[in-house]
Amino acid sequence: MVRLTQLIRSSLGYKYLTGLSGLGLGLFVIAHLLGNLTLFQKEGTAFNAYAEKLQALGPVLILMELGIVAVVVLHIWSTVQVTLSKRAARPIGYEVTQSKGGPSKNTAGSRYMIVSGTILLAFLVLHIIQFRFGPGVAEGYVTQLGGDEVRDLHRLVKEVFADPKWVAIYTAVMIFLGFHLRHGYWSMFQSLGLMNPRWSGPIYFGAKALAVLLSLGFIAIPIYLYMVFGGLI
Amino acid sequence: MKVTLRVWRQESKNTQGAFETHALDQVKPEMSFLEMLDVLNEQLIKAGKRAVEFESDCREGICGTCNMVINGQAHGPVRGATTCQLYLRSFQDGETITIEPFRAKAFPVIRDLVVDRTALDRIIMSGGYISVKTGPHADANANLVPKDLADRAMDAAACIGCGACVAACPNASASLFTSAKITQFSLLPQGQPERKSRVINMVNAMDKEMFGSCSNLGECEAACPKKISIQHIAIMKKEYLFAALSADYREGMGSSETAG
Amino acid sequence: MMNSGIPEGPLSQKWDNYKSNMKLVNPANKRKYTVIVVGTGLAGGAGAASLAELGYNVKSFCIHDSARRAHSIAAQGGINSSKNYPNDGDSVWRLFYDTLKGGDYRAREANVYRLAQVSANIIDQCVAQGIPFAREYSGELANRSFGGAQVSRTFYARGQTGQQLLLGAYSALMRQVNAGKVELFNYREMLDVVNIDGRARGIITRNLLTGAIERHAADAVILATGGYGRVYFLSTNAMNSNVTAAWRAHKRGAYFGNPSYVQIHPTCIPVSGDYQAKLTLMSESLRNDGRVWVPKNKADCKKNPSEIPDQDRDYYLERRYPSFGNLAPRDIASRAAKVVCDEGRGVGLTGRAVYLDFRDVIKRDGEAMVREKYGNLFDMYHEITGENPYHNPMRIYPAVHYTMGGLWVDYSLQTTIPGLFAAGEANFSDHGANRLGASALMQGLSDGYFVLPYTVTNYLATGGFMKVDTSHAAFADVERDVKNGIQNLLSVGARGKRTPTEIFRDLGNVIWDKVGMARDDAGLKEALLQIKKLREDFDTNLKLTGDGDGLNKNLEMAGRVSDFLELGELMAQDALHRTESCGGHFRTESQTSDGEALRNDNEFSYVAAWEYKGRGERATLHKEALVFESVKPSVRSYK
Repeated sequence: MVRLTQLIRSSLGYKYLTGLSGLGLGLFVIAHLLGNLTLFQKEGTAFNAYAEKLQALGPVLILMELGIVAVVVLHIWSTVQVTLSKRAARPIGYEVTQSKGGPSKNTAGSRYMIVSGTILLAFLVLHIIQFRFGPGVAEGYVTQLGGDEVRDLHRLVKEVFADPKWVAIYTAVMIFLGFHLRHGYWSMFQSLGLMNPRWSGPIYFGAKALAVLLSLGFIAIPIYLYMVFGGLI
Repeated sequence: MKVTLRVWRQESKNTQGAFETHALDQVKPEMSFLEMLDVLNEQLIKAGKRAVEFESDCREGICGTCNMVINGQAHGPVRGATTCQLYLRSFQDGETITIEPFRAKAFPVIRDLVVDRTALDRIIMSGGYISVKTGPHADANANLVPKDLADRAMDAAACIGCGACVAACPNASASLFTSAKITQFSLLPQGQPERKSRVINMVNAMDKEMFGSCSNLGECEAACPKKISIQHIAIMKKEYLFAALSADYREGMGSSETAG
Repeated sequence: MMNSGIPEGPLSQKWDNYKSNMKLVNPANKRKYTVIVVGTGLAGGAGAASLAELGYNVKSFCIHDSARRAHSIAAQGGINSSKNYPNDGDSVWRLFYDTLKGGDYRAREANVYRLAQVSANIIDQCVAQGIPFAREYSGELANRSFGGAQVSRTFYARGQTGQQLLLGAYSALMRQVNAGKVELFNYREMLDVVNIDGRARGIITRNLLTGAIERHAADAVILATGGYGRVYFLSTNAMNSNVTAAWRAHKRGAYFGNPSYVQIHPTCIPVSGDYQAKLTLMSESLRNDGRVWVPKNKADCKKNPSEIPDQDRDYYLERRYPSFGNLAPRDIASRAAKVVCDEGRGVGLTGRAVYLDFRDVIKRDGEAMVREKYGNLFDMYHEITGENPYHNPMRIYPAVHYTMGGLWVDYSLQTTIPGLFAAGEANFSDHGANRLGASALMQGLSDGYFVLPYTVTNYLATGGFMKVDTSHAAFADVERDVKNGIQNLLSVGARGKRTPTEIFRDLGNVIWDKVGMARDDAGLKEALLQIKKLREDFDTNLKLTGDGDGLNKNLEMAGRVSDFLELGELMAQDALHRTESCGGHFRTESQTSDGEALRNDNEFSYVAAWEYKGRGERATLHKEALVFESVKPSVRSYK
């Protein structure tokens, strides 16, 4: 067997890590949207119940969260390695560059994964501060659920998205998320060697469909909340 | 027709280069791009100036010798063609055309548009073969190869080693070149005995040459004069992973050869 | 008379006898020998790899950046072998016979028979190397037919057979480079041979990137440097194809065999303008399904071909050669095209083209089937001409493609300089006065994989030479000559007016017109005068820029043109002395009443081997009698 360090430090190794960590994050994004669909219930009990269930996992939740952070770090580290190798591999660039099109997957979205990724990272920090570490029971965001007093996260979400500024910011970031996933989902199959001639078309299209669906799903939530609780509907 | 050329001129590897502008006012649409450069060079020599050095040989798109980046595209604007297969009918009358050498750390400039691509040979050296010696072998029809596999192997084997994949890749990766050879042999029965050592050694050689990593942008496939698919890169990644994790692969396998 | 060293015994046992009686080098001693191989095409690449596998130290020299670029790579159609997989009556004998007859009985029987014998090993070797030959649905190898044969014996890999075979040899070579048994010198041009005590003991090369003149010593030297078709300036040969290595060896004592035997390939894309430097071949395999024709009436020549009905078309190959039809051998098909164009029935802008029409096969088998078989060739035609060959017939015209002549070698592929071998297109040996399609790849690989490893071993084992290295005075002498030669080009080049390309193009025109598809006494004499003038112009009025200390392609070209000028004279001289017609050499004075080549076996059944006597001096003719023990030369008919 080839030593693991050698495997990882090869040019392919970084891509396996990017692909694997991407797979983890990609699945997390899907799960996150599925959970968040409970926000479409106006009363907010479904969402709070979902949040409470996660909360009740206690140390397991923390482990899961740390796991995700680790995957994020891995994803960033491996991508940075690839970006560094790219700089080293072409110290003098071209005066003119132009894609030949055709089968090329080189679009603004795929070319600037590092940019959309950085935006997503900044957003992730903001998002965690805003909600995970945002006001809770101590600050009076309390509600009754099946006789227990629990954190009224739904109220917090509602309040945030009553502000058009936040709606706009979230919408913009989710568009970047869409572009990132569009290249990411497809790329994952390619990087992990799961692509074959028969499935490459469906996979490339499927990645696009999934990315668009997820992006629209996430965008729909703040807009829905803004319209409902901002009094537009 | 008339064209203005902005050509990269550079004395040697260690000197600074710059663009030089030349106007050609008597070229024809049915001329090939390299014939246009031949015309330019005749003019330069007549004027007592050093000709623009560029490489070409077969001039029919198979030897892989010609190489330049034309208006930001490796081998110019036509898909599935080498520079020598490019004709001026692909350009506008009066157009300014920028010609640069292939650029990559692994492809140092030798002079003007000529770059050193021997890094690709060193990748082949590390394992791009089946280790049979000259001599009597089993009858050619002893090993049957399903037609679809033979055809796919041929798709991969069509690579002409021009390096356009590296030139076009935003990361200067040689993954398409390397993977094409790996998949050619991984599909054929003859390639099986050395399947694991081949992929490990060739990927290691590729990394040693300071090529970049693949980001799945597919620019290589778009630029490849033989339209070789990036699916080969996926196959290479699978082959490498299986080989690297395989219990019966030991490091150093197939990396040295005892001849004689 | 020259001694060709043909082994004893009946034809079918000569090669076995050679191998049984040859001397061997024991394995431990092999590493004490160094062999230089110049050229990395099919013969050179295969030879260098095979010799290294045996244990010799090999120094391999290549004019390109990489050993994968030699012009063998451009061979499209395929490689012949006597495997008889299609069960259509092929055999070693039939391949031998077809090749000998195809060469118009001007090749050496024993060599051709050996070629047919090892042709089966070549396919086994290439399949073992992982070359993706075309296959049937059964998984077995596919075959197709080629000109000059009535069996299907051609193996192929799409339209890129030469590429795949070359990459096979290249991989084998790179494996030996990796193993340290081959030292590969790229960007090197061989500029001279160094002879010591009457044996070839080394070469002088120029490093094309630095201009450095380098000495390399060895125990044997193999030249596998290809043909000289580029003497015509316009040919299907690559830009870097040249005669320099072979010619410099010729100047040092290697005789040059049959220089006037040149193959003009019938299916090339016609010339379009005077800026052109290279013509493109369309594979002969196209003649399997395409039909060649011109209009019956001159008046129709400028018409759209689809408007010309069948009764007004002259399918002249089918008419003149009913049994071989469109698959008539190359020399015959080329000449037939010239005849109809000379009659004023040529098509296209210049009137120097004929149609190659796929209308009928597309109707019969469908466009998809044709695309599957010839797709890349059709695309190539489309790219170059801007016309779609699925809708309009291709326009084709003959162009120089291959040279049957080359350095004279004996049965062991050794030139008249002991220790200097020549292989592949660089030698004259196997194709006589005309080569059949798909035989060049066969010969290159046969020489490289299966002949040289034996004959070079025999030479080394026979021994009789001392160790030398590059400090020997002979190296210094030859190196000085080489340096003076380059300096001379540069100093003339600083004062003159005409670029190497200009003189080269003029030379090409003279040779094409006078030493091309049809030759006659007056034309050849005129050619000799014109070439002499061009040579004098070159020697006094050359224009060069740049210097000799780095990459300078025009300097390289000037050196090659200088040799082509001398070769051109020798070709004309050879063509002039051979007053018969045979194969690619057609003397208009020697033809039958219906315009076919008329051989004269009584006077010309020999190989002309020319000895160099100095620049501008007449070469001396030596003859190797061609003795036919097994086949009685007959009139070569494809009717």
